[in-house]
Amino acid sequence: MQDLLALIVMLPLAGFAALMFGRRFPRGLVAAVGVGSVGASAAIATIVAWGTSGTFTQPLWRWLSVGAFRVDISLHLDPLSLAFVMVVTWVGFLIHLYSARFMAEGEGYARFFAWMNLFVASMLILVLADNLLLLYLGWEGVGLCSYLLIGFWYKEQANARAAVKAFIVTRVGDAALAVALLLIWTSLGTLDIAAVGAKASAQWASGSGLAIAAALLLLGGAVGKSAQLPLQTWLPDAMAGPTPVSALIHAATMVTAGVYLIARMRAIFELAPIVMTLVAVIGAATLLLAGFSALTQRDIKRVLAYSTMSQVGTMFLALGVGAWSASVYHFVTHAFFKSLLFLAAGVVILRMREEHDMFRMGGLRKKLPLTFWTFLIGALALSALPPTAGFFSKDAILAEVWKRGGAGLWLAGLVGALITSLYTFRMVFLVFFGEAKEEPKQDAGWTMGIPLVILATSSVVAGFFRLPEGGRTEWLLMSASAAASLAGILIAWLIYVRRPEAGFRFGRTKLAAFWLSGWGFDVAYDTLFVRPLAGFARVNRGDFIDAFFRALAALALLDHRAFSGSVTGRVRWYVAGLACGAVVVVAVLVLL
Amino acid sequence: MTAVFYISSVVALVATAMTITRRNPVHALLYFIVSLLAVAVDFFVLGAPFVAAIEVIVYAGAIMVLFVFVIMTLNVSSEAAGEKPAIFARGAWIGPSALAFALLVELAYVIAKSAGAAAGGVSVPPAEVGRALYGPYLIAVELASLLLLAGLVGAYHLGRREVAGK
Amino acid sequence: MVTIPMEHGLIFAGALFALGLAGVLLRRNLLFMLLSIEIMLNAAGVAFVVAGAKWQEADGQVMFFFILAIAAAEVSVGLAILLQMYHRFKTLDTDAVSRMRG
Repeated sequence: MQDLLALIVMLPLAGFAALMFGRRFPRGLVAAVGVGSVGASAAIATIVAWGTSGTFTQPLWRWLSVGAFRVDISLHLDPLSLAFVMVVTWVGFLIHLYSARFMAEGEGYARFFAWMNLFVASMLILVLADNLLLLYLGWEGVGLCSYLLIGFWYKEQANARAAVKAFIVTRVGDAALAVALLLIWTSLGTLDIAAVGAKASAQWASGSGLAIAAALLLLGGAVGKSAQLPLQTWLPDAMAGPTPVSALIHAATMVTAGVYLIARMRAIFELAPIVMTLVAVIGAATLLLAGFSALTQRDIKRVLAYSTMSQVGTMFLALGVGAWSASVYHFVTHAFFKSLLFLAAGVVILRMREEHDMFRMGGLRKKLPLTFWTFLIGALALSALPPTAGFFSKDAILAEVWKRGGAGLWLAGLVGALITSLYTFRMVFLVFFGEAKEEPKQDAGWTMGIPLVILATSSVVAGFFRLPEGGRTEWLLMSASAAASLAGILIAWLIYVRRPEAGFRFGRTKLAAFWLSGWGFDVAYDTLFVRPLAGFARVNRGDFIDAFFRALAALALLDHRAFSGSVTGRVRWYVAGLACGAVVVVAVLVLL
Repeated sequence: MTAVFYISSVVALVATAMTITRRNPVHALLYFIVSLLAVAVDFFVLGAPFVAAIEVIVYAGAIMVLFVFVIMTLNVSSEAAGEKPAIFARGAWIGPSALAFALLVELAYVIAKSAGAAAGGVSVPPAEVGRALYGPYLIAVELASLLLLAGLVGAYHLGRREVAGK
Repeated sequence: MVTIPMEHGLIFAGALFALGLAGVLLRRNLLFMLLSIEIMLNAAGVAFVVAGAKWQEADGQVMFFFILAIAAAEVSVGLAILLQMYHRFKTLDTDAVSRMRG
């Protein structure tokens, strides 16, 4: 049973390979291949999970062998990667199923599924990798797919720009990760994850310079991929991609790759307590920053994007205090309810004819009942209200933070919870309550409805697998977080249902504009990095290397003119040329 | 008899020179036939009676008849054929002539350097040529036949009146 | 049968060839150009026959035979092109037909 492990990766990869040539395939076939490959992968993942206890490594073949540097293509399954594999395949399958209908109109159907399949394969390689180099392959693979899918509608300039922005900003983190790999290889002599952990613990003292450097560099990679401070600016723009892409890549799976990386390399992070604290602080800061930004967004997808940043920040907070399993648990529940919210938002956007602005929606509760109820469940889970899964996972994190991280971080988490439920229900009230402003078309059909229902069920049920322990402190903490969530909902109700004009007034203040722009990070980066670099590039445009190549081009053009001038179309000139050649050749014979 | 070779050679060269300078194609053709006949005499004198006969029959006969047919088909006067009243624009003949002359001088020089061998004297009869053709050169003969077939097909295709694209 | 110095025969062939070349270069009429090409081919044949007579072998004549075959094929295709050109452009001036220029 365990030997099927490789198939989990291979099937989406095969789907990608087939769909690369799928431009002329009928749509039904494209959907069957695209959805089927991920579905089969999910089924096999379940079978493997059933038959596996503990860890299992499946070596496939040797990838590189240069001197002492040997890297295998080898898959490693343990509880951590199993959690990620199950989420990636099953949530991925549901989103693919949803996309089969959602993407049905418009061109690039086969292209979409090819890249989605490639993404699933890359993500699976990332989480199943047995060594860091293979992990890096998956890491870059998901980055590439993210870039391709954000710019899926590449004919719009803004989408292409968003894709490039996401690629470049995450690249900053990727470069840090690459340096981390080199550092680990040169100082520990191996890239095998298990061996790295063992050797690091044996060779590096806690708090030693090398350990801190390695952990910092790994954190850099994680921060870039997971859109945490200070590399968070790409995620809101990444919403330019199709909604299923946002759900799969920019909510459920890829942005949590940073969480996976830190959890996977915990041996190194545990040797660098300072960096652990930094992880927690970054998480808490992102959690609050993104939460406040989400409060002011008008675009429903940007609210969800900021919410994703905020939730991943929560996971980082948990990682930072050493609550590894709580963090992964929150990843699982978050994958369910956030992809549910995205998919439901996708239905709303689709049925409202590509309307993203929440202030132009309203009263959709009656028109889109299925979407409303599933969205509501997702919103409750995001707001961490009992008894949804979001409540249990967030409560687990907050309890751990209280125990190990201190009151300051805990308070940040609590405020974050309040803001989360505030912006979530601001969204719910604006979209589904109030008076109807535009008539939607019909509700989600069954291909889009089934994933919504399954994800909504999961968002509730997933919480019962890991019930919190009892105890006086635990109950108090639980009540506090539940109260915070309820308070957030209440405030949202007071503002956006009872007194909508107050919400409008707030939206026009300077503070709101500041939050809307994502705390001015974009402007700051633009003036700090982009403009100077672009200016430098403009100045440096005509440097000597360029001049050399331009001269080469000019020379080629000159040759072209000369030779095309010699092609006169007059046969006699050609004969004369031949005769001249003959004269010269014979002359050479004579003279030699 | 040696004199025959030189006389006919001079005749051939003069006739050729006349060929390329005539304005009327029929005149040029007639001069060319004279040149070919003179060359045939040279062949005979050099002891190659088979090619001498072939030169007269095939070259001066068959191939030149083709030219005659074409001239008759077109029925073009020299003006209509695009030749201006002056065959050579003033000065335009100098360059090509100099080029051809340079080539000739070079050839003559190269040939003269290896002077000393005598040619002719013994007749190589047609029977021997035939044995050579159908012995060691058999494949070349077959290739030549293939070439002629290709020429035939090509001429048929190109010579059709209804042109593709019209 | 007479013997003559081989170089005389070869120079004769070279002179014929040079005349043919001059003809191709000088004349603009396609008919004359074809004729001049025939002269050049014939000159090459003369050189072969002279060389064959020097060695007193049949090979020179055999080569002349092949040159004849080539001349026949070439002239048939060339004349077909000439006819076609005349039908299309009503001229035999090769300089007038220079649309295939760069």
